[in-house]
Amino acid sequence: MAKKKPIKDAAESGVTRRGFLGSVGAGAAAVAAGVSTRAEAIPEITDPEEMVQIALTVNGRLHRLLVEPRWTLLFVLRERLGITGTKAGCERGECGSCSVLIDDLPRYACLTLALEAEGTEITTIEGLLDGEELGDVQRAFAEHDAFQCGYCTPGQIVAAEGLLRANPAPTDHEIRHGMSGNLCRCGTYQHIVNAVTHAADGRRKGGGS
Amino acid sequence: MSSPDLEAHVRGTSRYIDDMADPAGMLHAAAVTSPSPHAELRAIDAAPARALPGVVAVLTAADIPGLNQIGGIIQDEELFATSTVHFIGQPVAVVVAETFHQARLGARACVLDLEELTAIFDAREAAAAGELITASRTLDTGDVDAAWADCDVVVEGRADTAGQEHLYLETQAALAIPEEGGRIKVWSSTQAPTAVQRITARVLGLPMNLVEVEVTRLGGAFGGKEDQATPWAVMAALAAQRTGRPVRLTLNRHEDMVCTGKRHPYSSDFKLGLKNDGAIVAYEVHLWQNAGAAADLSPAILERSLFHATGAYFVPNARIHAASCRTNLIPFTAFRGFGAPQAMFVMEAAIDRAAEVMGLSRSEIQAKNLLSEGDEFPYGMRVKRSRARRSFNEAAGRFDLAAVENEIAEHNATHAVVKRGAAAMPVCFGISFTNAVLNQAGALVHVYTDGSVNVSTGAIEMGQGVNAKILAVASAALGVPRERIRIENTTTRTIANTSPTAASSGADLNGSAAGLACRAIADRLRSVAAERLDTPFDRLSIADGVVLADGEPTGLEWNELVWNAYTKRVNLSAHAHYATPGIWYDKETEQGEPFAYHVFGTAILEVTVDCLRGTSTVDRVRMVHDGGRSLAPAVDLGQLEGGLVQGLGWMTMEELVFHQGRNLSDTLSTYKIPDLLGTPVIEGHFLDDADNPKAVMQSKAIGEPPFMYGIGVYFALLDALRAFRPDRKGVYDAPLTPEKALMFLHGDR
Ligand code: FES
Ligand code: FES
Repeated sequence: MAKKKPIKDAAESGVTRRGFLGSVGAGAAAVAAGVSTRAEAIPEITDPEEMVQIALTVNGRLHRLLVEPRWTLLFVLRERLGITGTKAGCERGECGSCSVLIDDLPRYACLTLALEAEGTEITTIEGLLDGEELGDVQRAFAEHDAFQCGYCTPGQIVAAEGLLRANPAPTDHEIRHGMSGNLCRCGTYQHIVNAVTHAADGRRKGGGS
Repeated sequence: MSSPDLEAHVRGTSRYIDDMADPAGMLHAAAVTSPSPHAELRAIDAAPARALPGVVAVLTAADIPGLNQIGGIIQDEELFATSTVHFIGQPVAVVVAETFHQARLGARACVLDLEELTAIFDAREAAAAGELITASRTLDTGDVDAAWADCDVVVEGRADTAGQEHLYLETQAALAIPEEGGRIKVWSSTQAPTAVQRITARVLGLPMNLVEVEVTRLGGAFGGKEDQATPWAVMAALAAQRTGRPVRLTLNRHEDMVCTGKRHPYSSDFKLGLKNDGAIVAYEVHLWQNAGAAADLSPAILERSLFHATGAYFVPNARIHAASCRTNLIPFTAFRGFGAPQAMFVMEAAIDRAAEVMGLSRSEIQAKNLLSEGDEFPYGMRVKRSRARRSFNEAAGRFDLAAVENEIAEHNATHAVVKRGAAAMPVCFGISFTNAVLNQAGALVHVYTDGSVNVSTGAIEMGQGVNAKILAVASAALGVPRERIRIENTTTRTIANTSPTAASSGADLNGSAAGLACRAIADRLRSVAAERLDTPFDRLSIADGVVLADGEPTGLEWNELVWNAYTKRVNLSAHAHYATPGIWYDKETEQGEPFAYHVFGTAILEVTVDCLRGTSTVDRVRMVHDGGRSLAPAVDLGQLEGGLVQGLGWMTMEELVFHQGRNLSDTLSTYKIPDLLGTPVIEGHFLDDADNPKAVMQSKAIGEPPFMYGIGVYFALLDALRAFRPDRKGVYDAPLTPEKALMFLHGDR
């Protein structure tokens, strides 16, 4: 399956599941506009020579791969590395579904170029497990029913993890502010606050990671 | 613990369509869409697109082997426009290419030759021009014309509500795979797999048995994937059929916001007559529904508006006119509440106006007119087990509405700039599809020889927790722990002719069917146990995986019993069908019993407005809700809160703006939905002793009703604004954004 393809194949074909500019910039507007005469988007690189070799550390594992300089981290995680827990909600830095930790800080993977993330520690929802078991924030979300459709959930949990790493004892106000960059259309906010509060309590008592 | 998906959701391993691995040879599709709200389509020049690298095909109406028609209720919508385009974002062709990006470049390269035509965007204008989707309808009860003379006070006014973007976080997505023998398999992010199957078959010129539609789960839907998932799935299927390769079509957020239908904007005129004590005597209302350019589900939505026009109140003389108006906007569609919120807003506006004129409190008029047992709705049905008064009184008592109102009055008397407001919002919502045909469901249950169980139904899990509820029903009916049961993906191959998972009825219908199938198997197993234990059948039961005789464990366990039954060649599978009994409606007379039952509840909402800036906060919302006997209390609480939050968004910040047919609020930076900071403290209580013999295991549907609690926030805000500007009369034009609040606070009109 394309997602699991070794780096070599990606480099050979330059085939992408989703072009960055197509989804974020002119391309998208033009689909709506149909006959728009706006400037052409940058074409995809089809010559493997023009691709850049990078190494990304995701959840403690090193991945070497070729990327186009414009590829976002979100694209590379989902479409090149097959790590699909990180979701695309808007691809414009407006919803938080794509939240990952970069060196402990929550970042929107859709607004981060894969190139920029080289040399950092990238953590996705998959990296928050405690061995095979749920990590403490994951457990708190489960125990507090802090999800409905589940689509925003990985981003919420990663954002909460980032918040707690930066501030192990957040106030209610700090939780609300810290989590306000992650939208949940199902409206599970109250449960999210409860879950994060609970996870923070657990860490203070020394239960968490 | 609410959901069988719990572990997977928090691990990030739940799969949505876009998470599925790409099948070998997969292509991407992107639609070419109309840039014009109304134009003659003279030609499509696809040559520039075909010349681009990676483009495999450009498909137009000419490439459709079957019918170019995706309309459901009314067949008035082409998959690809042919001679005329009717709205911005209407598909005219689909480009199929090797990559997502190439498909989009291809879509952009197509050149449309268009001749602009005059366009209509306003529902009232469309009605005046005779542009109606179907004949307008009128419900008439009592004698409205005569009743005005009996009224001490008659108020009139206008009320408007804007549309609303669903903003399900998972955008529309489909993956179509051509299989042998011309068969097409479609994974679709749809609430209505049978609709996708039927219309795919129609467009592709196939019998329905060659089209399978499968769904694992949706990342939110809220009505936005009931009809609106269909065109994208059909395009993917068509492209797969034509190219012979798997095709993925996923909309990005911007495309989704531009090209898919939303909640209908409504414009209304009301006239309400009351006695001096606040008793409502007569109500007349005209509802103009902006349907957009095609019927979609608009006629059904209009019908629910008619049925809910009098809200949670008894109105002895009522006349409700409703017109579905064709305009050159995106076809508007189902959204939580399905036309009821728009109509209920008007009723609340009328009550507010009456309260203003009469100098009464709004909650006094509300309380006086709530539905009592046996009261008749304008559609002829009498309310049974009405909990309108009970929930209102319980809310008013539990949350001390009088004290809240006093406290706010005191605050407002002593604060010049920061004003507060509160409102009660009673809700009554009818449960069942108003189209009686849809009130049926099927289930297929298999017990395997190791004792594990699979349950399939037509229900789609989209976050509303239907799988948790079906699991509860199956576990109780079979007598096995939930861990032994898996709720299967929904597929048209297993369960045929499914109704959409909509109208809050997913668990009622599919849970009932699953219960019937499980009980059929449980009965067969009890027969086997009766023989084995030499005990009469009637004395045996199965609970928690153990066979009981007269309630005492027999030592015979589920696994052994199942194996025993298998060796005796007993059928361990069952299919069942459920149809809601007793519902009917006659559109000729506009009378009937369209609903199995009603859901009731009341919210008390409190707000604060900064009258210098026009900004506001919703401080607290407390609700008493009639949830029946819940199948999954955690799920129901989530629905209560989530529905409310969406309703608050619709009333306060979600502002859908169209200019000359173009959606200007087409990204998340121009369309704001509630975030964590905008969410108030929410308290939800469920009525005790609220049995409901009309639904599975005494439960009640919950998806939609809580949305309408949000309507109250408009009136709470209005009170705060009027506390600053007592000289101004209320205006009823939702959403009440900070901008509109500012104009109210500091404007002259
Ligand atoms: S997908 Fe990155 S913020 Fe929405
Ligand atoms: S759980 Fe559905 S968007 Fe958050």
